[in-house]
Amino acid sequence: MTTGLKIVLLLAELLCVSSAILVTFHPNILHAAVALLFAFLGVAVMFVYAGADFIAGVQVIVYVGGVTVLVLFAVMLTHWLYKVTLRDVRKKLIVPIVLLVILLVPAVYKSLVELASSSQNIAPERVAEFAGSAKTALIGQALLGNYLLPFEAITILLLGALVGAVGLARPK
Amino acid sequence: MANSALFAHSLQDWIGIGPLWVWAAVSAVVILYAIALPFAGIATYVERKVSADMQDRFGPNRVGPFGILQFIADFVKMLAKQDFIPQGADRILFSLAPILVLAGACAAFAVLPLSKYFLGADMNIGILYALAVTTLIAPGLLLGSWASQNKWSLLGGLRAAAQIISYEIPVALSIFPAILISGTLQIGQIVETQGWVWSAQAGTDYHFWNAFHNPFCFLAMFLLFVGGLAETNRIPFDLPEAESELVSGFSTEFSGMRFGLYALAEFVDIFVMSSIVVALYLGGWQLPFINIDQLSDSIPTLLVAFIQLGCFLVKVFMLVFVVMWLRWTLPRLRVDQLMAACWKGLVPLALVNLLGTAVWMWAFNGRSIAQLVLGPMVN
Repeated sequence: MTTGLKIVLLLAELLCVSSAILVTFHPNILHAAVALLFAFLGVAVMFVYAGADFIAGVQVIVYVGGVTVLVLFAVMLTHWLYKVTLRDVRKKLIVPIVLLVILLVPAVYKSLVELASSSQNIAPERVAEFAGSAKTALIGQALLGNYLLPFEAITILLLGALVGAVGLARPK
Repeated sequence: MANSALFAHSLQDWIGIGPLWVWAAVSAVVILYAIALPFAGIATYVERKVSADMQDRFGPNRVGPFGILQFIADFVKMLAKQDFIPQGADRILFSLAPILVLAGACAAFAVLPLSKYFLGADMNIGILYALAVTTLIAPGLLLGSWASQNKWSLLGGLRAAAQIISYEIPVALSIFPAILISGTLQIGQIVETQGWVWSAQAGTDYHFWNAFHNPFCFLAMFLLFVGGLAETNRIPFDLPEAESELVSGFSTEFSGMRFGLYALAEFVDIFVMSSIVVALYLGGWQLPFINIDQLSDSIPTLLVAFIQLGCFLVKVFMLVFVVMWLRWTLPRLRVDQLMAACWKGLVPLALVNLLGTAVWMWAFNGRSIAQLVLGPMVN
């Protein structure tokens, strides 16, 4: 990767992490929801860097266009909710910190080891090859080929959810 | 598609120096300032003239010849106005919202196929990217309306978000038939497949605009246009800013340049929407009945590029004119009519179109009506 691309990736990661921290600690629920939007966008950029541009597009459509808007909707329609300040009175820190250490230390260690062992995981020419290949077509072939049964099972689940939603929303 | 097709690469080739990312940044700025913003400005002028003509008035006629400089005067006025944030408004979100909306609309310019040689980025997931970045508009409108702390604004914003989310579905479903025919999400290739001569063995077969590929596609084009109209909040779908009910809807509390950004975003969004219809169904930069790629041997590439740009812009402006024409022809829908039109009208029709196109592709082996009627072309 060129330096410019690395800087963009770094910025995206910073955006993601800082937004995630805001989501967790911001007392105003609406501002937290907006921070969540930016965290989702950061994740989409990282998907692009991982060579999964289709997933990146879907990530933005589903999470930014769908989930965030739904969260905002819910907050705005329940008028008492955005006056609430979310702050835990009793600070519970021990369990989260232990969990954080357990999860974070191996990840940091592994990435450091990989950094030390090889300067680059994917050669630059592989990156170009990655970006140019028609992965979207491969996803389609996989869904309707090897993974047809799980795909169909999920379709039926989603159809059930859709019918259920219509049933719930129907006037009595 | 060759890399030289991209705008940034072309710039780098012509000028010959500098790293690619500099030219990518330059091309983004050029596309934005040379096309998006002037278009939005001139569109406001044209809109006022068109509406004046339809109502037997003169319209702007004082600033410059035929009032053509009116939009510049409006722009200067907007810049000079006080940047007012109402008391009790959420200042951060109030400032953020117009930027989100404009960014969402402008980001789609990256994949618009202005010409084979003027393409910001011909990415693999082109059309999906356009759908994705324009989803930023819904949260933007919603946040701006909430941040105003005004009930009219909030109602307008809620309506806008509900409308955009609902109409996203028929829009996406109406995009699929074009993808089925072209077999790719890459916008450059989708336009390419609508050329006069395009197949694995060039010269043995002809394709034409996707809208005339089969009857289902013809209908899908209209569904896409209507859905796009609803997503850009234009009449007859302008409930979010219904001035007789909601003052000015989500933009009630916005003044000066912040309001200007909203207005700009609306026109940029109309341009993007029309461009997507043109690229997917009306042949993009292709000139009807003339194979421009054969001409490129005899005339310079730059000229071909500008002919293609002209073709594309003419088609887009015709659609933009239809948008303005509808504004002064149709009354506004009610909220229940809006939702019924989407879920009971557009969505089932779009599904039928998708299924119909799929069956057509299977039954006739991907051949269009023209190919079935006229038979394979003999060169």
